[in-house]
Amino acid sequence: MNVTSNRSLGTYSLYGVLIVCSILFLFPLYLAIINSLEDWYSIPVLVPDSFKLSNYSYATKLIDFWRYAGNSVILSGIAVVISSFTSGLVGYAFARIQAPGRGLLFMCVLSTMMLPAIVTQIPTYILLHKIGLINTFLPFLLWAIGGNAFFIFLYRQFFMGIPLELEESARIDGCSIFRTYWNIFLPISIPVVATVMILNFQGSWNDVTGPFMYLKQDQYPLATALSMIGYKANGSTQIIQQVSIAAGLMLIVPVLITFFLGQRYIVEGIVTTGIKG
Amino acid sequence: MKNKTRRTIAFYSMVSPWLVIFLCMSLFPLLYGLYLSFTNYYGFNMDRLSFTGLHNYKLVFTDSDSMKALVRTLVFSVINVPLSTAIAFVLALMLSGNIRGSGIFRTIFYLPSIVPVISTVLMWKLIFTGNGGVFNTILGWFGLSEVNWLGYDYATVSLIIMMSWGAGNGILIYLAGLKGIPRDLYEASSIDGAGLMSRFRKITVPLMTPVIFFNVIMGLIGSLQVYLQPILLSGNELLARPIEPNYMYAVHAFQQIFASQRYAYGMALLWVLFVVILLLSIIVFTTSKYWVYYETDQER
Repeated sequence: MNVTSNRSLGTYSLYGVLIVCSILFLFPLYLAIINSLEDWYSIPVLVPDSFKLSNYSYATKLIDFWRYAGNSVILSGIAVVISSFTSGLVGYAFARIQAPGRGLLFMCVLSTMMLPAIVTQIPTYILLHKIGLINTFLPFLLWAIGGNAFFIFLYRQFFMGIPLELEESARIDGCSIFRTYWNIFLPISIPVVATVMILNFQGSWNDVTGPFMYLKQDQYPLATALSMIGYKANGSTQIIQQVSIAAGLMLIVPVLITFFLGQRYIVEGIVTTGIKG
Repeated sequence: MKNKTRRTIAFYSMVSPWLVIFLCMSLFPLLYGLYLSFTNYYGFNMDRLSFTGLHNYKLVFTDSDSMKALVRTLVFSVINVPLSTAIAFVLALMLSGNIRGSGIFRTIFYLPSIVPVISTVLMWKLIFTGNGGVFNTILGWFGLSEVNWLGYDYATVSLIIMMSWGAGNGILIYLAGLKGIPRDLYEASSIDGAGLMSRFRKITVPLMTPVIFFNVIMGLIGSLQVYLQPILLSGNELLARPIEPNYMYAVHAFQQIFASQRYAYGMALLWVLFVVILLLSIIVFTTSKYWVYYETDQER
């Protein structure tokens, strides 16, 4: 009796702590939402006292919002479609095809995961500038074709866990290596494919610095544009915090939607690939 | 034999997209950057570069700006990495039992880590603003005096608080790891009369060390090259110089390159950062055998 009441007390306090933590984690989001509906230049509020939905339409009008959003769609579309595909192909080769030099090349993949991005980004910028590829989407296309080290790693871990028999039976049936990958491995890899696509989308949708370096202003995606251009009324230098927040919230929406759509796969994908070190 | 050649060809044709781009757009720029760091390149003198030897590196270690920024970044990382690791681990631990609604809690804790940096910063500015900001309003309720959260004394504290909000990033990996711990280990130990704390110390932590290890390394790498958050928290655009306590090492490199066009010096700065990150990773790796528990047959 004593034990059970003790346990339920423990459970209640655990729920208490979890709820307090949830409130703390949601608090900034709550503040952002209510303050995006306040009057211009007003002091941040904790309790809503105004409901100016017009801030959201100003967010799309005071800057070239939809153009930037379109650029975001193009850049993340390139990454999601191409990089998710090639990373899988490369991951499959590393997981399943024996070849000389495989170990060494896989070390290269692992070490690019450790490499700080800016160490290569800036000389790449200088090189691209020299050959005149700055201010085009081409570099982003090339990076997508090259895949991404972390995603290659994820795919490889997943494919390593698939029983060998599956491949052998396919080979007996006369499937080529590529066909085996496409017809047998990909269909049973939906959790990883979805995980990679979602992480890929978030990565490129949220990327600020890459486009800042390699593109000119009217090619910026939304994340870069919002980081570079403040919302100001005509002739004023003061940033309108309420409209900025509204734009910031709109930037989150696609990320949230994809996360909720794919959440199940992300959780499953990370569990099944078993990143255990 | 023929089969082996066929496999080799298949392997290399499948990895070729990655391999070609890796060589051209990672490895080559990396080495090219190293080469530039030994020159006097400042943006317009590509055709008459002169070789300056170790001059730029000497400058890195004698320039008080960069040395202060490096120390600042190390101190920041020493606080930030353990703190966010602990937050994510404790949150995952709380959700690992049979909790009703654990999916909802998990979503709430993970959510902030996928919010774009610029949106995060805009939100937290509402909280940190000196004039009528939310933290100061709350301090006022308790009769405490206002604090300039983005000013000299508190800017780094604010940065750490904001970064901790995104700490839930590691929670999924921890949950996956915790799920992998066999139930019967806990049952056996509770039959032996082990309490909650000793089970945590003797089973959970040892079995989770590989996962913690992975997260600490990745966290460290991320933390040492932090620049976007400090820049945007202080200013309204990427070329703005953040307030001094948040003038981190990578911010310094970013400033030198994009605001001052000192490319060669900037590349030297970045290579020093790269080596520091490499050394720290090696140290963490080599000491890991003393504190990381691996199952006997280690999979690779």
